[in-house]
Amino acid sequence: MSIERFLDNSPSSWMAGIGEHSDIVMSTRIRLARNLNGYRFPLAFTEDEAHKIDQSVSATLLDANEDLHKHFSSIQIKDLSELSRQVLVEKHLISPKLANSPMTGSVLLSDDESVSVMVNEEDHIRIQCLFPGLQIQEAYTQADAIDGLLEKELPYAFDEQFGYLTSCPTNTGTGLRASVMMHLPALTMTKQMNRIVTIISRLGMVVRGIYGEGSEALGNVYQVSNQTTLGKPEEDILADLQSITEQIIQKEREARNALLKHSSNTLEDRLYRSLGTLSYARIMTTDEAATCLSDVRLGIDIGLIKDVDVTILNECMVFMQPGFLQQYAGTTLNASERDMFRAKLLRERLQMGVTPKTKGEELT
Amino acid sequence: MICENCKQRPAKVTVTQVHNGEHFERHYCEVCANSLHPFYVEYKHDPLSLHQLLSNWFNHADQPVHQKQNRPQLVCDECGWSIQRFLDEGKFGCASCYTSFRKQLPNVLKRLHNGNTSHVGKAPGAFGEKLKLKKQIEAVRLQLKEAIEVERFEEAAKLRDEARELESKLAAGGDETHVD
Repeated sequence: MSIERFLDNSPSSWMAGIGEHSDIVMSTRIRLARNLNGYRFPLAFTEDEAHKIDQSVSATLLDANEDLHKHFSSIQIKDLSELSRQVLVEKHLISPKLANSPMTGSVLLSDDESVSVMVNEEDHIRIQCLFPGLQIQEAYTQADAIDGLLEKELPYAFDEQFGYLTSCPTNTGTGLRASVMMHLPALTMTKQMNRIVTIISRLGMVVRGIYGEGSEALGNVYQVSNQTTLGKPEEDILADLQSITEQIIQKEREARNALLKHSSNTLEDRLYRSLGTLSYARIMTTDEAATCLSDVRLGIDIGLIKDVDVTILNECMVFMQPGFLQQYAGTTLNASERDMFRAKLLRERLQMGVTPKTKGEELT
Repeated sequence: MICENCKQRPAKVTVTQVHNGEHFERHYCEVCANSLHPFYVEYKHDPLSLHQLLSNWFNHADQPVHQKQNRPQLVCDECGWSIQRFLDEGKFGCASCYTSFRKQLPNVLKRLHNGNTSHVGKAPGAFGEKLKLKKQIEAVRLQLKEAIEVERFEEAAKLRDEARELESKLAAGGDETHVD
């Protein structure tokens, strides 16, 4: 299968806006880090080792297509243009580290893009499952199945004391990172996020802003994940994340209700202004787009804005990023050209997302 | 200079943002800087400091810094990385580093993993089955000993057979997955 499919087809399955609590939890990700015995870790290995690892992992997974009821395509990172790599990064299908690696590496993608197996990233094997909504157990079951399949054929680096041996000591043990991507506009507006970040970090979990550089929570989207991987079995890590996520969902719902109760006019004004900006602006930076999309999303969730489809917003969050924009435009764009092109795309997308009936009303 | 955001208070904080490869400098007062970048201080240094922290923790826990230079370095024979290189990079060179630095590792790991130094949870199939079998055999042997002590020989004979069966499974490589 050709790589174009994964680049052109903007919506991945995780953007579908389905799954439990999908109004607040945008997606669930499970990642397992694994290494093979007999080869040095990617930081220290030679190109020859990289090549051999790549071949054996790819062959094993491609042979196993039938058992998994999923079809995988193997993509060599070296064969991709810089822009294509960026698009895959923006879709969360590969990491920036793999995209920039000088050594042989590849990604094996399932057709629905819910599973990506990175070869020769920081570890020899990174199994990643990305599901829409809150589906921690479901995503883990999928990742576990692929892990089981690979371990039957490949000799894993494992130690009775330390568990799965990984390149970074922060992953040693289970090699498991479970995370949920949450949209928390009301907690952010009511300035409660700082407090929540502090509490969560005491419970062995981390919160970071997703999208954007460093730590800024662009578009009020936060990622909550487990920090420790040693000394806790997989089930406990997943159960803890589930319980913390549910509590944050609860707090976010409370904050939304409080906002609606105490400042519904201000809130309504802000959300509709954002919808207006998205529908009519001619120049739009990533930051502004993220803020407006977050507002409109909140408007849909609380029932204020009724005629826009959430799936479209999830897609917009992805394709408004620089790599995607240029992929769409079919040419490289400088920053200000990108801002104009972004505004144009968002306008068009939102119009498509509005149901014909309402559009008719607006026109008359 | 006054704050770019509120345009009232004097600017005291400079925020440098890298956006699409371009650097932007913004000048805010302390109030606006806090509200615009609430997580800035807490997180910005996180990725940088991991290996520094590792290095500091380890050195403090083990020996004064000035002695470190005189001691022969622990080196992994598989990849040639020294323990100092592991601490500097915050990463291992290969799986054998875990064996080479086995004694020193608990000190590092417990700080990263809430005091934990040993893995519990999933193990690769063959490995996991063997571990499980070993534990089962231990349990059966304990029951056997108890049975002999109270002179319940009929039960002891059964337990002995059970232990033998488990041992033969272990010898065969622990391939039978449905032992329990």
